[in-house]
Amino acid sequence: MPQAKTLETIARIIGAKNLLTHPSDTKPYLTEWRENYRGKALCIALPLSPKDISEIVKLAAKEKLHIVPQSGNTGLVGGQIPFDKNRAILVSLARMNKIRELNPTNNSITAEAGCILANLHHTAETANRLFPLTLASKGSSQLGGLLATNAGGHNVLRYGMARDLTLGLECVLANGKIWHGLRALRKDNRGYDLKNLFIGSEGTLGIITAAVLKLFPIPKGETTFLAGLQTPQQALDCFHWAQARSGGALSAFELIPRIGMDFVLKHIPETRDPIRNPSPCYLLGALDSEISAEDASEKAQAILSELMEKNLIKDAVLASSEARREALWKLRESMSEAQKREGASLKHDISVPLSKMARFLEEAEAAVKAFLPEARIVAFGHIGDGNLHINISQPVGMSADGFLALREKIGRILYDLVESFDGSISAEHGIGVLKRDELARRKSQTELEMMRQIKRALDPDNLFNPGKLL
Amino acid sequence: MKILVPIKRVVDYNVRVQVKPSGSVDLDNVKMSMNPFDEIAVEEAIRLKEQNKAKEIIAISIGPAQASETIRTALAMGADKGILVQSPERLEPLNVAKILKAIADKEKPDLIILGKQAIDDDCNQTGQMLAALLNWPQGTFASKLELNGDSITVTREVDGGLQTLALKRPAIITTDLRLNEPRYATLPNIMKAKKKPIEQTTPESYGINPAPRLEILETLPPKEREGGVKVESIKELVEKLRSEAGIL
Ligand SMILES: Cc1cc2nc3c(=O)[nH]c(=O)nc-3n(C[C@H](O)[C@H](O)[C@H](O)COP(=O)(O)OP(=O)(O)OC[C@H]3O[C@@H](n4cnc5c(N)ncnc54)[C@H](O)[C@@H]3O)c2cc1C
Repeated sequence: MPQAKTLETIARIIGAKNLLTHPSDTKPYLTEWRENYRGKALCIALPLSPKDISEIVKLAAKEKLHIVPQSGNTGLVGGQIPFDKNRAILVSLARMNKIRELNPTNNSITAEAGCILANLHHTAETANRLFPLTLASKGSSQLGGLLATNAGGHNVLRYGMARDLTLGLECVLANGKIWHGLRALRKDNRGYDLKNLFIGSEGTLGIITAAVLKLFPIPKGETTFLAGLQTPQQALDCFHWAQARSGGALSAFELIPRIGMDFVLKHIPETRDPIRNPSPCYLLGALDSEISAEDASEKAQAILSELMEKNLIKDAVLASSEARREALWKLRESMSEAQKREGASLKHDISVPLSKMARFLEEAEAAVKAFLPEARIVAFGHIGDGNLHINISQPVGMSADGFLALREKIGRILYDLVESFDGSISAEHGIGVLKRDELARRKSQTELEMMRQIKRALDPDNLFNPGKLL
Repeated sequence: MKILVPIKRVVDYNVRVQVKPSGSVDLDNVKMSMNPFDEIAVEEAIRLKEQNKAKEIIAISIGPAQASETIRTALAMGADKGILVQSPERLEPLNVAKILKAIADKEKPDLIILGKQAIDDDCNQTGQMLAALLNWPQGTFASKLELNGDSITVTREVDGGLQTLALKRPAIITTDLRLNEPRYATLPNIMKAKKKPIEQTTPESYGINPAPRLEILETLPPKEREGGVKVESIKELVEKLRSEAGIL
């Protein structure tokens, strides 16, 4: 079938105005937000139902085209961007944004893949429930992408990753069939857990069209605190103590190094140092209460006082209002932005077992400094989850290009170390195209072979997102 | 020198309140905090103390029992003692000013620093009424405050510029946003604050009946914003501006 005919057929399935081919229309879908990836595609299709998608999939199979699913286009590893002008159909889930069911009795919500995360939060709130998955891209990222990347974010400590929050899925498979797996069961042991194959598959096994998600009671109160300490090891000691003493109420535990704080205070307007005397590093924590904000605050004060008596923290402040809470989080959330203004940087989203984190950090710092003595290492993030962003800022006085040319070498140094600590080279953001070759080098042959077998079984003709992940 | 700082417990500035079908504002489970302008008042008092210009700071809150939490916050920032005037009633500025006058008569402060207004009722009256009741000079909307012996220089934000006043102690100051940036309470100070005294009283103990004199007839939420539409042509736009928006 000639291309024009194919486009005509797709237009008939979804309606002509939902098929985009003009460059000015397709550009927002084909450009990654940091402009690290610029894609090409035959067309962008915006279907409205699983049935539309099923028909597009069948057509693509027949015409030997392939399909790149995209939701909010906030992915950080290029997975959502197609690169084939003649054969790629980008299927955007954006129009499929209906809430199909909000069920407070079952503590669940059934939503379509194009629902924006912030809207899911608001909808759950109307039933006095919490959907706890949250990250800085919540205003744009959509359910399909969040599940396909098994997103993490700030609440993992208490509620887990996207995977832990999903009860059921609806997907369109490579043979065009619609898998109706929208079950709202907390227990279901009938064989293989199929939904977990699709969660984290980065669009390579099928297209997620809807999901049943877990909801929780909204905590009655919350308190946020910032504490100054000497070493990451102390932050970990604090974490273990606080977790044991808080009875699972700890909802965030983030590490901020002094250099990161300095970058933020220097570059981000309306920020200031909450603690008068500087410390080598900080922990930003949050604790929930099912009783009240005052109760959360009392509990945090008790725990922090104990940590101070143990000499683990030097000083701490608690947020006394929402504005203060936001000001404390702003220090953490502006870290990437501030680092960008400080010059070029190389980012590494890694995890290691908590028990090895402190030693890993020491060795990582030493190894990078041995290679590039003036490197400015900003290691920050979800230390409570064993996940850190090890971002290296260019040395003062070095050229950005000269520094970025060291990407491979610095990556190798860090990833080798991660591997020797039994860690992961992608804790949160996935593999996409960015880390595909690195994954092939580092994952065991046994594991890679199992992944390929699964891919062949579910998508034998490599219809979905070829060139990504594997 | 002694400073009184009245502070109010209000719905947190960042909370979007809902109007209940019954016509009142829903305050169940809503985050409450110290009125932001009062936080600035507390901070200014503490700075005067740190400059050795003030000796004692008393934080006063008039409101429900939970207002003692708000007083604790002020004590943790650096106030020395608290007075909780417990009153379940909705308080109007005049009643608050009368209670504060009674406390001032007893405590004999040199300075009373208040927020210029509370962000819940936006009245912007208490400081002025208190100045009238005490017959003291007032420097409202202060964005800068300087103390030299008995005289106080207050820079005020007025429409289109700044005005500088000289006042004599004792005086009333109300704070504007740019006066200072309040500090965070540190953990050691929060713990110390738990041991600072809070005196408990009632409006009646000052001979004041706190019953409101104004009746609230109705509370309405703002009109919902309607979604936008895309127009096909400039002609249509102009037409809509004329017929629907009524701008042209
Ligand atoms: C400022 C910022 C902060 C971020 N913070 C975090 C963070 O804290 N934690 C974290 O984990 N991530 C974070 N991310 C990364 C990103 O937001 C998440 O990966 C998110 O889950 C992607 O959602 P999306 O809707 O934008 O998906 P997209 O970018 O559109 O797609 C991502 C991947 O999923 C696939 N996909 C999309 N929709 C479907 C579907 N319906 N079916 C099958 N496959 C599909 C795509 O092909 C692609 O491989 C952040 C990103 C930004 C920009």
